[in-house]
Amino acid sequence: MWMRKLRILTPFSQKLLFTKRETITISSSYCKPEFDFHTVEQFFPQYIRRVNFRGNNLGFCGRSLFSCEAAQRNSCWNCCNAKAFLVCTDCGCVQPVDHSVDYFKIFGLEKKYGIEGENLERTYKDWQRKLHPDLVHTKSQKEREYAAEQSARVIDAYRTLTDPLSRAIYILKLEDVHVDEEEKIDDVELLTEMLEIRETVDEAADSQALKQIQEQCGVWTSGQIPIQGKFEQSSISFADALQSRKYIEALAAIRRMTYYKRANEEIVKKL
Amino acid sequence: MAEQAYTVVSDSETTGEEKTSSTFPEIAIGIDIGTSQCSVAVWNGSQVELLRNTRNRKLMRSYVTFKDEVPAGGVSDELAHEYDMLSGAAIFNMKRLIGRVDTDPVVHASKSLPFLVQTLDIGVRPFIAALVNNMWRSTTPEEVLAIFLVELRAMAEVKLKRPVRNVVLTIPVSFSRFQLTRIERACAMAGLHVLRLMPEPTAVALLYAQQQQQSSHENMGSGSEKIALIFNMGAGYCDVAITATAGGVSQIKALAGSTVGGEDLLQNLMHHLLPNMDDLFSSHGIEEIKRMGLLRVATQDAIHKLSSDISVPINLDLGNGTKLSKVLDRAEFEEVNKGVFEKCEALIKRCLQDAKLEAEDVHDVIIVGGCSYIPMVRNIVTSICKRDELYSGMNPMEAAVRGAALEGAVASGISDPFGNLDLLTIQATPLSIGIQADGSNFVPIINQNTTTPVRKEQIFTTVHDNQTEALILVYEGDEKTVEENHLLGYFKITGIPPAPKGVPEINVCMDIDASNVLRVFAGVMLRGMPYMEVRMPTVDDGHGWSAQALHKTYGSNLDVVTVQKKTQH
Ligand SMILES: [Zn+2]
Repeated sequence: MWMRKLRILTPFSQKLLFTKRETITISSSYCKPEFDFHTVEQFFPQYIRRVNFRGNNLGFCGRSLFSCEAAQRNSCWNCCNAKAFLVCTDCGCVQPVDHSVDYFKIFGLEKKYGIEGENLERTYKDWQRKLHPDLVHTKSQKEREYAAEQSARVIDAYRTLTDPLSRAIYILKLEDVHVDEEEKIDDVELLTEMLEIRETVDEAADSQALKQIQEQCGVWTSGQIPIQGKFEQSSISFADALQSRKYIEALAAIRRMTYYKRANEEIVKKL
Repeated sequence: MAEQAYTVVSDSETTGEEKTSSTFPEIAIGIDIGTSQCSVAVWNGSQVELLRNTRNRKLMRSYVTFKDEVPAGGVSDELAHEYDMLSGAAIFNMKRLIGRVDTDPVVHASKSLPFLVQTLDIGVRPFIAALVNNMWRSTTPEEVLAIFLVELRAMAEVKLKRPVRNVVLTIPVSFSRFQLTRIERACAMAGLHVLRLMPEPTAVALLYAQQQQQSSHENMGSGSEKIALIFNMGAGYCDVAITATAGGVSQIKALAGSTVGGEDLLQNLMHHLLPNMDDLFSSHGIEEIKRMGLLRVATQDAIHKLSSDISVPINLDLGNGTKLSKVLDRAEFEEVNKGVFEKCEALIKRCLQDAKLEAEDVHDVIIVGGCSYIPMVRNIVTSICKRDELYSGMNPMEAAVRGAALEGAVASGISDPFGNLDLLTIQATPLSIGIQADGSNFVPIINQNTTTPVRKEQIFTTVHDNQTEALILVYEGDEKTVEENHLLGYFKITGIPPAPKGVPEINVCMDIDASNVLRVFAGVMLRGMPYMEVRMPTVDDGHGWSAQALHKTYGSNLDVVTVQKKTQH
């Protein structure tokens, strides 16, 4: 009620509330510091200034997207090489973060869900060797800030793409489809299934019993629990739905993946 | 560019990066301060070299003897016999004691050491004293460590023929951030600047990364990714790390650590041999200290012998009519220390689980530290990791300090023409960091084993109608309730506009940068309300005490609750 009143009375807070909602959703699914900053920068300029004053200690710096450097987006700020990416191919200078470069591009991948078998680890480490704050001592303060920001973004990109669920949510976001991870589920079938899983897990008195349940389910091999199998099935249906642009189905698959993942975490905790 | 004339370093800035870089950067030295032994190493331009003291030793005993005016540490001091260290005049095991309050079981276990450890059991720092001319002279673990570091520094300066200021120190995985500040304090007292505090097994991981890179160069191989499990058990701590290494880059996948080590094995066995030990030694008289020393040395010897022998005879006359005469076999030793070994087992299992790996996924299993010679320890590691062979390319007693020296060179910006320093460690957080919310629950904001640098945030809200202030209590650890975790600091958010409970939105953001500095940003999300930026930890001594005081004064009046559950990745 209070919120609503505020929203109607002051157009500014409407914007605030809206943007803030965005922030919450994004940060709760896969930490994207640049978006957090965007929000914070808009409403707390004093906060950004402080962060910028942190010198070379900073993890991420709140550089504006719309600075003069970003205007000539694809060319190197140092040597004007037109092919500059995260790091300039000509002069080796670290570039400011360009948000039009998505996580898939960072890893040189096509924007598609099925990336199993790709060697992300190697690209990740190659980038870190160029960007990690530990390795850019000789560079200027400005470049070190870029490096800190880029390195952190590569970490996020790696974390997002290596996890099937975060990858699914991210790829939908790139398609402008919003995922609300906290929504209530009304899928009766899924609800019943979750209840059943919970009951079985709760009834298992010790890790021996938990393992027994897993073995009875038959699917369990080393490290694999039946829920893991179900997770993978959902992951496959997500890929199918995405390919045929059936976003409602894709969202349903994400919902299932989310719940299986949580259930899996609970079992692992009890083991 | 004109240099600023004066710079006032903030009170809490003890680890700030060096702002100036000279043409010839000083290579930071690596120091491994063990609970019982310590060593120093440095990159000499082509490889890592361990520095030797005047008695040509690479490993020095970690202790400081207080006598007359001048204290002397194990770097230069010559012990006529082991008993000299146990006369009450020497303080050792400082790594076990540093940054702990007197309610900590580790502090209580230290009461059976020959020097004085007194507790009031109220959550303040313990009273520690050394016996000097028949008087108990008080000191602190920081002071003891600083005296020791001054000696190490002097030794290194003589060897390297240059001033030494920058250091990379290895620390146990389970150290809280509060303990890290105590280590930094001791370094500052010794005139040393801490470039990095590196969890011990991650230093070993860096050495492994270098070895892998060198061997892939030799084989002209592609340097594909290798997973290694590192088990490090010394006198004071047991740590496990899992690293994924490729092309000289070591990514820490998971860390697990606990305060169990050789000291526990020793104390358990001492209690086993002399069950009423605590009563006999509790008053810390001169004769009692002497007896305790005798028992300690005999037990230590027995443990060493049991590494190679199946059984060992113990014949000990404690002088007061107490005589020990028995044959101790290895099985008995293992039974007495069952609990310690089970903890080691649990740590390895947890680390594998956290890294989401199976034993079969691990390419190399590395075991280092003083306890790595104990057959039972090796058995545990090999059986959980399902293999017969352990990695053999490292000296278990030197691996950590060598890794620290490598990091020292890399972090100082040194490069090597042969690519031997093309190395990088991508660290992960050893403990979760979060705040108290939803009652006395610990709500993590940055989870354990998160790659750093990292920034995460979460929204909280008020629990009372018209609540205008909120208390943010920052904790570190992995237990469900805050009481079981370490308090790092606290501050108040004020000026929350009056509103029904659950309406105001309080954003708490945590940031760990490349130098491992933790900052907490928090504020109510409204225009015109400044955020707080708090560098953690802010607590000083007696953090157990302050949490209780806060609870007594405020109850749940300034509590917060989480707005939504997060999916943790
Ligand atoms: Zn360029």
